[in-house]
Amino acid sequence: MTRIKRGYIARKRRTKIRLFTSSFRGAHSRLTRTISQQKIKALVSANRDRDRKKRGFRGLWIHRINAIIGKNKKKQYNRYSNLLYNMYKGQWLLNHKIVAQMGILKGNCLLMIANEIIT
Amino acid sequence: MALVCGSASVTFPSSSFPRHSHRNTSSSSSSSLVGLQFPFHKLVSLSLSPSSSSNTNARTLRIHSQQQDSSILPPEQDPRFLCVEPEPRFKGPDIWNKTWYPKAADHVNTEKTWYVVDATDKVLGRLASTIAIHIRGKNLETYTPSVDMGAFVIVVNAEKVAVSGKKRTQKLYRRHSGRPGGMKVETFAQLQNRIPERIIEHAVRGMLPKGRLGRRLFTHLKVYEGPDHPHAAQKPIELPIQDKRIYLQR
Repeated sequence: MTRIKRGYIARKRRTKIRLFTSSFRGAHSRLTRTISQQKIKALVSANRDRDRKKRGFRGLWIHRINAIIGKNKKKQYNRYSNLLYNMYKGQWLLNHKIVAQMGILKGNCLLMIANEIIT
Repeated sequence: MALVCGSASVTFPSSSFPRHSHRNTSSSSSSSLVGLQFPFHKLVSLSLSPSSSSNTNARTLRIHSQQQDSSILPPEQDPRFLCVEPEPRFKGPDIWNKTWYPKAADHVNTEKTWYVVDATDKVLGRLASTIAIHIRGKNLETYTPSVDMGAFVIVVNAEKVAVSGKKRTQKLYRRHSGRPGGMKVETFAQLQNRIPERIIEHAVRGMLPKGRLGRRLFTHLKVYEGPDHPHAAQKPIELPIQDKRIYLQR
């Protein structure tokens, strides 16, 4: 067999990976083997966290709703759980995100509605 | 549903609220207006029954119920559901669909609230818990985990904080100097005699997040031994305490 050098095939592949990892810290953007590993880890995290992002935001909205509903001292049951229960009973079909945004941007409106709904 | 907000912000519920539920329900069903009628009926009957229509002279309710509208327009002509491109209210950034995140101006230190709380005869852990919640900002609707949105808290009379049971002689505060045999142990009573502020600081620090943000939050806690504090210029207000068991039961 004739001798075939590998040439720059491996280097071409690695420069693309290096471009991806170019903003990483320390050795993670400088050393070839580490670069390959870190790119894999980064993509795994991105994939997994795309689903976690949905969970995380929902938890944040729930927390924010609970905080603003809790400020309303007039009602005895000023909790997120009571608000949700009465929302379902009154067929108030809003998702958590919008209710949380209402709480921040139009807090008085949300409290007015909550006063009507929460028994 | 829009009938409830009788104040100046009536434009909000009438224009944007039906749109949102319209988008939510119309994705599945073909006739969107039919799907919307049902919940509106129910809400009208639920909310209007206590306040009968005969004696609402002081409050003017704008009622958007389907049964009382004489002219029911199809969705293509109903002004509430017309989709105008670009949406006139949404010319700027989309504030409704992007979860609110605080800008720098929303958490300037100079505009944060200052609370003051007297630690006399308050149970240590319950007091520290309330303080930590207010410092972290978890009681606010603008709470963001990555941003310092909380308030400043001043604790006075720190040497009079109380613990239940035999903790006064049995609760141990440990620290280690790093060298072998360098463990130093103190009881609650000894530390209260020596440095009383450290007790509350230790308790609150354990309840704040550990990290860069947590360390910055900890600097918002100011503990003082006597009844005086040098922060009168910040005009602190009383810390609202919800916990009923925070006062020591004798």
